[in-house]
Amino acid sequence: MILTAALAVLAGTVLACFLAILPGLHIYNVMGLAALLIYRLQDLGLAVAPQIYLPFMIGLVVGWSVLNTIPSVLLGAPDESAIFTVLPGQKYLMTGRGYEGTMIIGAGSLIGLYMLVFIIAPFAPKYLPVVRNVLNPHMHWILWVIITFILMTEWPKGGNWGPAGWRKFFNAWSTLGAGLLTFGLSGLLGFLLLYRAPIAIEDAFQNIMPAFVGLFAVPWCLLNALSGAEVPRQHVRDTLNINGDLLLRSGIAGGIGGGFAAFFPVVTGGVGGLLAGHATAQRDERVFLMSQGVSKVVYYTGALMLFFVPGLFLTRGGAAWILKGLYTPKTLGDYYLALGSIAIAGGVSFLLMSPLTRATLWLMKKVDYRLISLFALGIIIALVYSITGWVGLFVMTVGTGIGLIPVLFGSRRLNCLGVLLLPIACNMSGIGEPIAAFLGLL
Amino acid sequence: MKGIAHFISGVTVASFCPWAVEAAQNGNPVYFILGAVAGILPDTIDFKFYRFFYKHDIRVEPQPYQLDPQPIADAVAQAVSLAMEGKRATLKLASIKLGADDWRQYSMKIDPEAGEVQVQFGPIVSTGQVPQPDSMPDPRPVAIAKFDAPILQSYEPTYTVDIFDGPSFAFQCNEAGQVEIDFLPWHRNGSHSLTVGALLAGIASFWTWKAGVVVFGAYVIHVIEDQLGHMGSNLFFPITKKRAPGLKLMRSGDAFPNFAGVWLCCLLIFWNLYAGIENPLYHFTFIRLIMTAMMIPFAIFGAGRWLLLRLDGEG
Repeated sequence: MILTAALAVLAGTVLACFLAILPGLHIYNVMGLAALLIYRLQDLGLAVAPQIYLPFMIGLVVGWSVLNTIPSVLLGAPDESAIFTVLPGQKYLMTGRGYEGTMIIGAGSLIGLYMLVFIIAPFAPKYLPVVRNVLNPHMHWILWVIITFILMTEWPKGGNWGPAGWRKFFNAWSTLGAGLLTFGLSGLLGFLLLYRAPIAIEDAFQNIMPAFVGLFAVPWCLLNALSGAEVPRQHVRDTLNINGDLLLRSGIAGGIGGGFAAFFPVVTGGVGGLLAGHATAQRDERVFLMSQGVSKVVYYTGALMLFFVPGLFLTRGGAAWILKGLYTPKTLGDYYLALGSIAIAGGVSFLLMSPLTRATLWLMKKVDYRLISLFALGIIIALVYSITGWVGLFVMTVGTGIGLIPVLFGSRRLNCLGVLLLPIACNMSGIGEPIAAFLGLL
Repeated sequence: MKGIAHFISGVTVASFCPWAVEAAQNGNPVYFILGAVAGILPDTIDFKFYRFFYKHDIRVEPQPYQLDPQPIADAVAQAVSLAMEGKRATLKLASIKLGADDWRQYSMKIDPEAGEVQVQFGPIVSTGQVPQPDSMPDPRPVAIAKFDAPILQSYEPTYTVDIFDGPSFAFQCNEAGQVEIDFLPWHRNGSHSLTVGALLAGIASFWTWKAGVVVFGAYVIHVIEDQLGHMGSNLFFPITKKRAPGLKLMRSGDAFPNFAGVWLCCLLIFWNLYAGIENPLYHFTFIRLIMTAMMIPFAIFGAGRWLLLRLDGEG
């Protein structure tokens, strides 16, 4: 059985490797489709053992969360959890160091996996149930405080030159205003999607997927395709110029940011990345990039791990919700199975990171970068259409319109998370329905 | 301290108010949001509003592609001279933006003993202040401008100008005949005073006195935290006109004090929420919480870092 589980996790990881390279495709969509397949097989009397599909699913999540760094840095097509890696990552790319940037984030991912398996996992069954017990009645205001933090900590980028006065003020507030507008419009879109869901939830469990793709991935692809940037010759270095101290500091910062995002409902990897960035409070770009790698993996994999923690069995993140429909973990054996799967999948995906990055760079050398961006955009559109149809494409287009605001005005892209944060926070505080009624959505 | 530290400190102050915890348990987040907002408000007032309206007598905006440091040095010396003539002179040194993520760095040093200002251009840096390789200008002369005045520095002798908004200074002659240099004269004045905190708390009290307490506590904790640093704050504006010097225990950008402060706040919030539970399922003491979640992990982190630095030959 151990061998079967190991083979299943390897299969999931290898599949995730190739899925991760496809920009715009979220692993939760694939997991949703896999769950549908398992249900179909069960209906046909061909039950799949949990010892096969659990490691397989874990392999998918871990492999994807480690390797989706590649499209984020090299193709500029991030998922929401990787948005903070795009700008520094593209700077590495534009100075011929795309491989180095990708591998630095990859090293952060490996640190995140170490932290999960060897530091957090042994203590989680003892302490996390206490934390949940204390914080459970307070989730709603924590969410509101996070929203306040996102909105209040965006600092003006303009208004640095010229005489004092209103012109300078308005120049500075153009970015801040764009950020607030983005958050408000995203929140409105979130209300629409929540109260007048145009896409059936049965569509691979991801009725919000087109909005997310439109908000986060499409604007970057469009910008890359239109900007006409020439990617310089890329150099592959044997060393990453990082040391133990940098790994430790980025591990702590990213671990806390990602862990926070994994534990609290609706808080996503992007917020984890923001907290990790603030927590580092350091100017070393390598620490920042690595902490983003840590945060991303701890968010995705950690949220799934919480589902298996004895005494906790917390359902956080899309992967846990999908698995919850299939299986209920009960024993320490389930926990060890999950941890073993995370360790194997993490090791394998990190080993695959270098060859896959080199392969992508090779492709970029052969094909024009704009063409790759357009191809990535084509894949995204095809995926959204195939999963959610014309309605999904429409939602994606609306999301793209909103997602372009921060890209064009230089404000924080995280404001797009209003799509989730605002309606859910309103609902948790009991004001969601009155607002929806005011908006004419009920 | 950093914004995140002030922000979480405000939330922590709110968590010490039993009515805030009780309201939160009943689904009302408003006291915690008030605490968070008031905790970061002093910096918000300065950085998002006041600084755009603060007028400078001398503005220096260097040309990005004509790197001549002499006008910058001359402008600083001119500000010193104006102060010696009995005028209060304000000076702004603007940053030099070269691209979306590229800035030309330059440094300005005021040397009171030599009686001169020294200015030199440096490398191109990213917004993360990381220098780009091979971007140092060549030649790289040091511009010198002389002044004849005793100087009293309240902050640093050397200022580096690179990203976003450049620094500004106020030069004023004091009663002892020295020229006092105030760094960022628009910052930590009225906004960072206990009196303004009390005023805002009074406004919040029109809704309920409980909100006033939260606002005042969160605002004051910001001022106290800033007082631990170098610059200090104008504590009783408008009664006092100058910033009271800070205790110089830390710098606002220091990573460890910021991180330790944020983490301690998280633990205090956790403890206050735990204390608000009537019949807790789990039982632990405050000492145990601090030992388990702060002292031991920090000791392990410190030991680990020391070991890693030694292994890398930096210790």
